[in-house]
Amino acid sequence: MKSYDAVVIGGGVIGTSVAYYLSKKGVKVALVEKGDIASGTSGRCDGNVLIADKQIGFDTKMTYDSQLLFKELVSEIPYDFDYTQRGSIYIIESEEEFKVAKEYVKKQVEDGYPMRMMDKSEIHDDEPYLAEDIIGGVEIGCDASVNPMALVFGLSLEAKKNGAEIFDYTYVKNIRLDKKGAVKAVETDQGMLITKCVVNCAGVWAPEIGNMVGLDIPIKPRQGQLLVAEKTFPVGKRKIVEFGYMMAKFGDENYKRNVSPELEDLGIAFVFEPTLSNNFLIGSSRAFTGFDTRVSIEVMQGLAERAVRFFPVMADIHVIRAYAGLRPYVEDHMPIISKVDEVPGFYIAAGHEGDGIGLSQITGKLISQMITGEETIVPTDSLSINRFKK
Amino acid sequence: MKNEDDDIIICRCEEITLGEIKQAIREGARDVTGIKRRTRAGMGLCQGRTCEKLVQKILKEQLGEKAEKISSLTSRPPVRPITFGTLGGK
Repeated sequence: MKSYDAVVIGGGVIGTSVAYYLSKKGVKVALVEKGDIASGTSGRCDGNVLIADKQIGFDTKMTYDSQLLFKELVSEIPYDFDYTQRGSIYIIESEEEFKVAKEYVKKQVEDGYPMRMMDKSEIHDDEPYLAEDIIGGVEIGCDASVNPMALVFGLSLEAKKNGAEIFDYTYVKNIRLDKKGAVKAVETDQGMLITKCVVNCAGVWAPEIGNMVGLDIPIKPRQGQLLVAEKTFPVGKRKIVEFGYMMAKFGDENYKRNVSPELEDLGIAFVFEPTLSNNFLIGSSRAFTGFDTRVSIEVMQGLAERAVRFFPVMADIHVIRAYAGLRPYVEDHMPIISKVDEVPGFYIAAGHEGDGIGLSQITGKLISQMITGEETIVPTDSLSINRFKK
Repeated sequence: MKNEDDDIIICRCEEITLGEIKQAIREGARDVTGIKRRTRAGMGLCQGRTCEKLVQKILKEQLGEKAEKISSLTSRPPVRPITFGTLGGK
């Protein structure tokens, strides 16, 4: 029987990042994935590496540190994952939004992040196809994007080079504990993997893995749909997000956008992402639909309506595909990056909702530091599973 | 081992060659979606209408038994490209 220092469960962006950072430290790793690498949420998402939509304070700091790790990664691995740092822009529809944005930017600038307000003429010079009534924006200089699937494949190939073993198309059946309740082995449909350390990186499926050791992991699938445009001219230069997106994400009840109740019900907020292949992606939507990844015509229509509202020129550009993915949602919008006190040797790195790509690098780094007993680069108390204990 | 056939374009929309598809198989792809995610074959304007059958054939040739049995691209709307204007109804 094979034995490993650590077994990582899940071959998405989190699992492959954890495997990469562990293998870089010389830890003997096995990664187990039930299907192909990048076949779950990481294959049905967009490629955001943004601090733009983060809560002020720790959330922003952790994401910014992850951005810095991305820069290192680009020079560390030969696989090209289309990393581009063009910054991102919030677009602002009303004076009320402008006021809220100004407060947000002021605080973020005080904390040292490269953000600034753009007035009307500046934003229209910058993005000439934007709807004329947009009154301003926020520029976030450090934001970047990647091709998420290429990132995951690159990390998994690189982990393999470092000595990690990748068990794809392998299903975890059970996790065995010893008499003291500590991790002993991972039982798969391809055989037993002996280990004292398991990292649950199964995203929306993390609760299922948690159940195997008697843990309740509060993650729920939250569906998001995206439209893919045909290859065309550069409609926008950078990642562009409507300011109301933050409100949709964090569900601020005091704030109302000027949109129809239908769009509000579907959780639709405009997100534009240019890709290096010259297609662009249009999001976003939010809904709890269980594990259903079918797209709905109502959401597609809503996304298209919102896209044309902000970029009238899109009216004549074709949509070639729609797809849906499942974000691993946690009630407080923070990931769970944690050891589990009740089950020695069991770690969780899951629940990143829509931030998995952006937070992947710091997640891999933190878990590798926890496992090797180093001091973590940021404090992890607020990421602990213990925060859900009543 | 570069073969001169490796330059043949399999996915015309995204200009993906036989060599690139074989490389994706060496890197772990076992079905058409795995090829698509690694190479972009099937991600273009025709959404794999032209290349899907060819990619299936290449997978069979290269992997034999190991090729995943159910191997076709996921069907997703729209059935044919539609403008944002028409879809958004404005």
